[in-house]
Amino acid sequence: MQRFNLYQEEYYPSPLMHVWLEFKRSHIALVGFILLLIFCGIALLAPLISPFDPNLQNTNAILLPPSWEPNGTINHLFGTDSLGRDVFSRLLFACRTTFGSSIIIVFVSVIIGVGLGALAGVLSGVRSSIVNHLLDSIMSIPTLLIAIVIVAILGTGLFNSMMAITLALIPQFVHQTRTFVKKQLQKDYVLLDKLDGAGPTRIFFRSILPGMVELIVIQATLALSIAIIDVSALGFLSLGAQDPNIELGVVLSQSLDVAYVAPWLVFIPGLCIFLMVLSVNIVGEGFRSALRNRLSR
Amino acid sequence: MIRLCIRYLNLIVLTILALIGLSFLLPFLFPGDLLTNISGITPDSNQQREALERAFKLDKSLFSQFIHYLENLFAGNWGVSNRTQLDLFDEIALTFPATIELVVYASVVSVTIGIPLGFISGLKHHNPFDFSVVTFSIVAYSFPVFWLALIFITVFSLQLEWLPTSGRIDLLFEVPSVTGFILVDIWLSDIPNKGYAFKDALQHLILPTISVAIVTTALFVRFVRRSIMDVMEKEYIIAAKSRGFTQRQIFFKHGLKNAIIPILPILALQVSTLITNVMIVETIFSWPGIGKWLIEAIYQRDYPAIRMGMLIVSLFVMILTISTEFLTRAIDPARERGVNATL
Repeated sequence: MQRFNLYQEEYYPSPLMHVWLEFKRSHIALVGFILLLIFCGIALLAPLISPFDPNLQNTNAILLPPSWEPNGTINHLFGTDSLGRDVFSRLLFACRTTFGSSIIIVFVSVIIGVGLGALAGVLSGVRSSIVNHLLDSIMSIPTLLIAIVIVAILGTGLFNSMMAITLALIPQFVHQTRTFVKKQLQKDYVLLDKLDGAGPTRIFFRSILPGMVELIVIQATLALSIAIIDVSALGFLSLGAQDPNIELGVVLSQSLDVAYVAPWLVFIPGLCIFLMVLSVNIVGEGFRSALRNRLSR
Repeated sequence: MIRLCIRYLNLIVLTILALIGLSFLLPFLFPGDLLTNISGITPDSNQQREALERAFKLDKSLFSQFIHYLENLFAGNWGVSNRTQLDLFDEIALTFPATIELVVYASVVSVTIGIPLGFISGLKHHNPFDFSVVTFSIVAYSFPVFWLALIFITVFSLQLEWLPTSGRIDLLFEVPSVTGFILVDIWLSDIPNKGYAFKDALQHLILPTISVAIVTTALFVRFVRRSIMDVMEKEYIIAAKSRGFTQRQIFFKHGLKNAIIPILPILALQVSTLITNVMIVETIFSWPGIGKWLIEAIYQRDYPAIRMGMLIVSLFVMILTISTEFLTRAIDPARERGVNATL
């Protein structure tokens, strides 16, 4: 960061600024970031952008092809589905449900996971090993199985599938937090805090947590991509969101009946999920390498 | 070493007991009649109901119910399915190997492609080849499995008509089920046109295997690449270099082992993701495995089937993960517990 030194002061970017400067160097990561921002925008503004009501059935225009086909119209950008509903509006609302619920899932599992992980890191002996083994066992049960059991007990629905995915995502955060806290507790700065008379709560929130934020953000981007795929997969298997609730997996599975006549109805929602997950993964990867390289340059 | 063995044996037994306990409690949580949830039989009359209650010890305490459940479980007497009234043990013995078969082939493909690719791109990182491998892995990791499978069907089955869309083998071939693995079964059987049957079964296998394996391969590549990159920066590698070993010698003597050990438990953990993906792909390709069976069970609210299927699949995954962890600890006792490789 060599600057023209007119004034007798040095410019030191903050740690966050360091990360951003490093992140910006990779163009691909930047494109992914913009894509992610677009999806955030869609999630927030879907009712304002969408040209039609997503559940409005226009029986005069059933299975219209997308607008770039010779038979398509510009009114329906991605055509209409088998009930004459505008695919573009449906996709906007579906993105909103899938993306929004995934973010909520990740947020909840970060809070619960970090809390439990801090507890598990402080504990020792039999209690700690019980907590650890319990978590390891939950971690190794496939998400779909947890979802099946929860759906069997509580019935289908977006909220229940969100619960299942949250349950499946929590252990990773607990695991990461636990190992991090265990490692930090042996360091001198924590000892210093203890000598100053700080209790375990204060040590965790004031000393350990600030150093852990980046770790959590990285893990959260990974979890977000898993959550998006899982939400839409459960929707696809009709174990998640149900019909009036528009969700990308549901939209995809509804178009399966007409897949022969209108393959784009299967292709476009899937592409949407793919792009969403891809943008999250690219941003996560860019962020990870930015953190790794920020001090080496 | 003996302490380690005892500890992991203890862990395995406790986890199995915990899972069995959970599956014992499930029928109490499921909606509907408890007796039907446990037995899979809807009683016609009060007499039958009482007889069933006595048979399942529902009139006794919870503890004796649990003991009874354990006895039945180990005797292979798993009750009947709600929707077909068939014995659950037989149904699972038929469907579970089909799933394992797909899991095994997919992991073989992922390991044989993913691990060498990860090593090559990690050893010479930041060159065009490495860049394309990383790009491939990020893109492939982002594919939703069900969409990928559907696209494969559209392209390779419907448009090009190269491969079949569903099932394990053409209905023309009648292969008696011995091991449950279709390729092994064909090998063991004495049907005419064995070669054709084998080829047909392979053709049925290609699409499901690839659609599951792509995602797993991408993950493996990333883990292996990161791990070898970290290992090659260690001091002992530099020391070996300064002693004049060639790059090849260093890699095979020091790099390979040290890079593989920390990723083993992570790869084992991926089995749970792999099984989720296999279960989804099974429903798309109508592969008669336990995933399709369980998802049909949930559609029809077949609670005894859900309970047993859940128990068996989670036991399988659990035992696999714990034994891999035990193996890595046994190979490298100095390694700290819980410190695994990262992406």
